[in-house]
Amino acid sequence: MKKLVSIVLCLILLVGIVVSCSKKEEKAEETEKAKETEKAEETEKAKETEKAEETEKAKETEKAEEATEDKSGDEEIVIAVVPKALDNAVFLDTKQAAEEKAAELGFSLIWTASQKSDAAEQVNVIEGLIEKKVDGMLISCNDADALKDVIDRAVDAGIVVATFDSDSPESKRNFYIGTNNYTLGEVSAQKMMEYLPDGGKIAILTGVPGMPNLETRIEGFTDTAAGSNLEILPVQAGDCDTQKSVDVITQFTLANPDLAGWWLVGVWPTLADPEAIPELANFSDKGGVTVSVDAVWPQLAYVERGIIDVLVGQDFSAMGSQGVDALYKLIKNEEVDLGGDEKYIDTGYILVDENNIEEIKAVTPEW
Amino acid sequence: MKTQSQSKDKHINFLKKLRESATIRIALILLVLCVFLAIAEGKAFLTNENLLSVFRQFSFIGIMAIGECLVIITGGIDLSVGSIFAFSGVIGSLAMTSWGLGFILGLIVGLVAGAGFGLINGLLITKLKLPPFIATLGTMSIARGLSYAVTKGYPVSDMPDAFKFIGQGHILGIPAPIILLIIVTIIIGIFLHLTITGRRIFAIGGNEEASRVSGISVKKEKILVYTLCGLLAGLAGLATAARLNVAQSTAGAGSEMDAIAAVIIGGASLSGGVGNVAGPILGAAIMGVLRNGLVLMSVSAYWQQTVIGIVIIVAVTIDKMRYEKL
Repeated sequence: MKKLVSIVLCLILLVGIVVSCSKKEEKAEETEKAKETEKAEETEKAKETEKAEETEKAKETEKAEEATEDKSGDEEIVIAVVPKALDNAVFLDTKQAAEEKAAELGFSLIWTASQKSDAAEQVNVIEGLIEKKVDGMLISCNDADALKDVIDRAVDAGIVVATFDSDSPESKRNFYIGTNNYTLGEVSAQKMMEYLPDGGKIAILTGVPGMPNLETRIEGFTDTAAGSNLEILPVQAGDCDTQKSVDVITQFTLANPDLAGWWLVGVWPTLADPEAIPELANFSDKGGVTVSVDAVWPQLAYVERGIIDVLVGQDFSAMGSQGVDALYKLIKNEEVDLGGDEKYIDTGYILVDENNIEEIKAVTPEW
Repeated sequence: MKTQSQSKDKHINFLKKLRESATIRIALILLVLCVFLAIAEGKAFLTNENLLSVFRQFSFIGIMAIGECLVIITGGIDLSVGSIFAFSGVIGSLAMTSWGLGFILGLIVGLVAGAGFGLINGLLITKLKLPPFIATLGTMSIARGLSYAVTKGYPVSDMPDAFKFIGQGHILGIPAPIILLIIVTIIIGIFLHLTITGRRIFAIGGNEEASRVSGISVKKEKILVYTLCGLLAGLAGLATAARLNVAQSTAGAGSEMDAIAAVIIGGASLSGGVGNVAGPILGAAIMGVLRNGLVLMSVSAYWQQTVIGIVIIVAVTIDKMRYEKL
C-alpha cells in the first residue's frame, strides 16, 4: 500500500513538472486563439483529463511551433513580459495587446510573473528568464530599488530590458513606457474641481496603503487640490480587494451624508457590478461626483449609468503593444524612438465621460 | 429556608457559569465596542443601513469561520479556506455563465468543488498523516492556482438573477447573506452541540489518543470536519460572487487569517477541544464592527491596520486577565 502511494505521488510530481514546463511553450499558440473559445474549451474539461490533454496539446504545439519557426526566420527572438503579478486584472489588456503584436511581428512571447505582487519573487522570475536566455524583457517593477540589480544583470547578459507601468529609473534598462502616475492624480483633481466648482468634502479610496504608484497618484491629487475649495478627508483603503473596497465605499458614503465627491485611486470596487454598490448610485443621484483612475471594460458600465462622472485611464494596451514593438526593433537593431534623452515613452492618459463613452467602448478590449 | 438557599446556590452557579463562559465575555466586548461607537458616532453607526451593511460584511467571513471553528476544535487548522473561497466562486460562476448549467447546477458545482477540496484536505491529513498546517498550505496554493488557471485572471461576471439574490437580495428587509449565516449557524450549531458526532469532535480535540482508544473513528470524523469546512468556505465564496456579481480568482486572499482570528477571538483554543458555534460569529462581528468604526470615524487608512491590531490584542488580553487572574 505504501509503495503504491509513493509511486502514485512520484507520477503526479512527474506529470506536474512536464505539464508546467510544456505550458510555457504553449504561449505562442495561445495568442492566436480567441479569448472566449479558449475559456469555453478549458472550462469544459475535467481536471484530470485537462492535464492529460494539455500535455498532449503542448507536445503538438511544440511540433507545430518548430515547423512555423523554421519558416519565419525569427526563431531566436523571444520576448518576455513580466507584470507585477498574475493576480492583477489591470494587466489583462497589456497581455492581449502584447500577444497581438507578437502574432503580427512573428516573435514568441512569454507572459510570466509571480502570483502575488512581491519584489523578491519577481527577482526570481527574472533570474529564470536570464537563465533561459530570452532576447528581451518588459517588466513592471514591484519595487524600483529591489529590481535594479537583477535588471542590470540581465542587461549585462545581453538582454534588451525595458520597464512599463512601474519604473526602475536607476537601473540600466533601455527605456520606460507608461503613464505618469503623478499626472493621473493631477488630472483627477482638475476634473474634480471642474465638476465641483463650489468645492466640498472629497473621499479617497486607495488600494494597499504605501504602494509607490498609488502614493504618487495621491500626491498628484492632493498637491493639485491644495488651496482649492476641496476638503480632502483621510484616505480610506480597500486593500486592492473588490469586496473590501465595496464595503468601505458603502459605509463611508452612509457615514458622510455631506460628501461631495469620491476619488477612486484604482479599479478595485468597480470590478463589481454597479448593482452591488447601490450607495454609490444613490450618491451620484443626489449630485455626488465620482472620478476614478483606470478605464477598463467593467468600469465603462459605471460611466454609461452615470454613476462615475469621469475615468482617467492609463493605456495598458499601448504599454503592451508599443512596449514589445520597441523592444523587438531594438533587438533587430532597427531605428526606434525611445522618447529622447529621458528614455521615457509616455503613453498618456485617456479621459472617458458620457460624451465619448460609445467611442471608447468600441475600442476597449472586452473582458 | 432550604429551598431558598438552594435557589440562591443555583443563582450563584448560574452567575458563575455566565462569568466563566467565554462566549458571554466576547459578547460583552462586542457590546462595549458598539456602545462606544454609538456614543462617538451615534448618528452614523446606529442607522439601519449601516448596521445591516456591517452585518452583511462580516456574514461571509462568519460562514467561513464556522467551518474553520470545527477544524480548530479538532485541534487542526485549515489554511486553504481563502483559496477554496475563490475557487468555488469562480467554478460555480463559470458553470452558470460559460458552461450554461444554470443556477441550481452551477451552485452545486461550486459547493461540490469546495467540499471536494475539504475532502482532499481530510484525506491528506488522515490517510497520508500530513500535518494539517502543511496539507492545507499545499491545497491553499493548488486551489488558488487552479482559480487563476481556469479564469486566466479574468473576472467572471453576468450571473443569473436567481444566483445574485443570494448575495444582493433581501428577505423581509434583511439582506440574504445574513439569513444565510443564520441558517448555517443553526444547522452547524445543532450538529456540533446536539449530536453524538458533535461530541466526538470535541473529544478528538480534547484528547485524540483517548478518543481513539474509546472507539471513536478519529479519521472518519476528521475527514467529515475538513469536508464541512471546505463546503462552508465554498458557500461563502459563492455568496460573495453573488453579492458583487463578479467572481475573481483573487477573491478572499488572506481571508484565512480573518477566519482563524475570528475563531480564536471568539474563544476557541488553537490546541483544540474548546469552542462553540457562536464564537466565530462574535469574533467576525468584533472585527467587522471595528473596521466599520474606523471608517465612520474617518481614521486614515495608514493607521487603520495598527488600530485593529492593538484593539484585538487589548480586548483579548483583558478577557484573559479577568478569566485567569493574570
